[in-house]
Amino acid sequence: MKPPVAIAALAGVAMIGGSSIFVEQQVRASKERLENPKAAEETPETKVAVADHAEADYCTPKFKEVLARVVLACGLSGQDARRGCEPVDVRSFSSISDEDFNDLFDPLHDRGGIVLFDDNSDVLDDGAKKLIEEKWAERKGARYFFIVARASKTGTAGYNEALSQRRANSVFFHLESTASKDDGPLDKMVGMLWLGSQYAQLSKDYCGTWNLSRPNIAAPSAPKGQPQKAPAKGSKVCNDEAINRSAFISWVDCRL
Amino acid sequence: MWQPWVGGDNTENRPHREVSGEVSPLSVRSQAMNPRSIVPGIVGAVASLLGGIFAGLSTHDYAQHLDRQLHGTNCSFIPGLGEASSENACSAAMYSPYSALLKDKMWGGIPISLFALGAFGFFFAASLYLALARESASKRFRIGYFAATLGPLAVSILMFTISLVKLGELCKVCVGIYVSSIALFVAGVLALMGSRQAFGAVTRQGAPPAPPRPADATAQDNEPWHQQNKRVGVPPTKVDDGPVIAPVAAPTGSWAAPVFLFATLGIATLLPAVVYAASMPDYSSKIVECGKLSVKTEKHNALVKITTTNPKQQALTFEDPLCPTCKAFHDRLVSEGIYENLDLTVAIFPLDSECNWMLKRPMHPGACVLARAVLCADKDGKARQVLEWSYKNQPELAAAGKADVADVRARVVKKFPEVDACLDSKETKDRLDNILRFAVENKVRVSTPQLFLGDTRVCDEDTDMGLGYTISRLAPGVRK
Repeated sequence: MKPPVAIAALAGVAMIGGSSIFVEQQVRASKERLENPKAAEETPETKVAVADHAEADYCTPKFKEVLARVVLACGLSGQDARRGCEPVDVRSFSSISDEDFNDLFDPLHDRGGIVLFDDNSDVLDDGAKKLIEEKWAERKGARYFFIVARASKTGTAGYNEALSQRRANSVFFHLESTASKDDGPLDKMVGMLWLGSQYAQLSKDYCGTWNLSRPNIAAPSAPKGQPQKAPAKGSKVCNDEAINRSAFISWVDCRL
Repeated sequence: MWQPWVGGDNTENRPHREVSGEVSPLSVRSQAMNPRSIVPGIVGAVASLLGGIFAGLSTHDYAQHLDRQLHGTNCSFIPGLGEASSENACSAAMYSPYSALLKDKMWGGIPISLFALGAFGFFFAASLYLALARESASKRFRIGYFAATLGPLAVSILMFTISLVKLGELCKVCVGIYVSSIALFVAGVLALMGSRQAFGAVTRQGAPPAPPRPADATAQDNEPWHQQNKRVGVPPTKVDDGPVIAPVAAPTGSWAAPVFLFATLGIATLLPAVVYAASMPDYSSKIVECGKLSVKTEKHNALVKITTTNPKQQALTFEDPLCPTCKAFHDRLVSEGIYENLDLTVAIFPLDSECNWMLKRPMHPGACVLARAVLCADKDGKARQVLEWSYKNQPELAAAGKADVADVRARVVKKFPEVDACLDSKETKDRLDNILRFAVENKVRVSTPQLFLGDTRVCDEDTDMGLGYTISRLAPGVRK
């Protein structure tokens, strides 16, 4: 073989052989990374969030403790059919004061509302029904809907606890009758607390600042800096008694 | 013994003054070989080497992606210089359907850079021969060499046209290959011209002229193998008392030379591709590892049905109108002829905290407005129009969103006035919330785009290079 031919042939074999070896090595390296992707998984940027319900800033550990207890008591988690909420004694699991308990719900000021009832009644009026439906429709990314029912201090503690439970149920039953089935199973979404008259009573300050089912009810005093409005015709006065004949309702933007 | 100063096939057009003795003996002595005769080989070798480096770089980038992870691509005129990035023209070219063959059969297909790699390796060797053999390279070898250089040139012209027409941008590494192919073609032309221009053979002073060769003089052959029996002896011309110039007719060579060239070229071109294909991992189990839809339908009928011309395969996508990857994915589905064959439902999924509670900050400000516009347009069957308009104008809309979301609203309303009244309605917002909750129910990733074929989720890693293979495995009907 002539030298130019031999040299060119050697160069050709080296080039093409080298290229093939290069290709094989590249593919083999990728194959190893494919089969052993640990190194890639450890890099933080590969961790992608999974779609989940909303998690608002008010979801503090204390708030979640209350939420978790309600979820447990009402069987909102798990696959089993719900058999109704167990009574939850907030005091028994949380060393939280009445005021602190109510403060937990303050951030829900715009999200929630307060359904007012007549004295010794668990019947929803039109305003109550409207407010429940409105608030239910404002779900956004929330997972749980809370009903926290109360009774005023009139009457015995036992009676008031039963009354507040009936009020919570009234809200729940109304939801059952009006909410679309497409919204999902209510018994896995709605958590209820009935506090009776012994725990975490609301102050009349809630009258002027929260979204009430009876907008015409007169607040005892106007917020600071605003003139006192005269009570509308037919309205009743919102006082410490009236504001606790109620059920607080709201979607809760917390994950557990 | 090979004697490079003997032989040569360029006698015909050799400058006449040399034959007539106008050139000085000194000059003739110093030009025992014509310096021009080495040029085609050198040009070809350099072009091949450069082309090989660019092709190797491209192959490296392509092969890196076989691990199904995200990698950048090197995109520089100076091979290897600059940082690898996934947002450049080379990545766009690599993810395009034109970057590889057999994409339906193999994950990612066989990158065409592999063929270039093999071919340039071959051309390097052929050019080296041309440089070493110089005038003794036969006419037919030169013809074959020239003809072979047309291959890379033709492919480069084709890919250049595709880049401009289909991709709308030029990848620098690809341009490097195109330029190398052109340089190689120039080398081919020079080599061909060399077979027509006589440089003449120069015998050194006192050396006997080359005798006419017998047909079977293999043992004493002073010429390359392919020139045997082709050289026609011409009587030497005495130039004064200086060296003897022996003008020889161009060695025609054998047809075996181009045949051998093309056969070798074919083998060289295919070999890296064969090695690549043989070394590929098995992806058949990998492509079904990314989960399934647990809730197949959205109960409120909130998802958007997209009208396509030939819906065959049920598919669901999660898309964000301002997500660049969604735009690229949409374009890929269209360009690969997949989109029109999908019975497509879109879950509009804006990565914008204005409406999407899953984000703390807006990744794509203004995406919520466009998402609602898609939902509003869906009432008139124009959802696809709004979505594609958003993709088409994505850079401007994204910039507008970052500056002032109201500007995004103004732009979409200007283009689609009919959505104005509906954009901020509670009904539209509720519908979008329902879509987002559908995402929650299915625990999909907070990322876009996502594709489900039937209820099987196509892995993110399979939505670019491996798309063809994945589609052919998970939805074979789409390709028919």
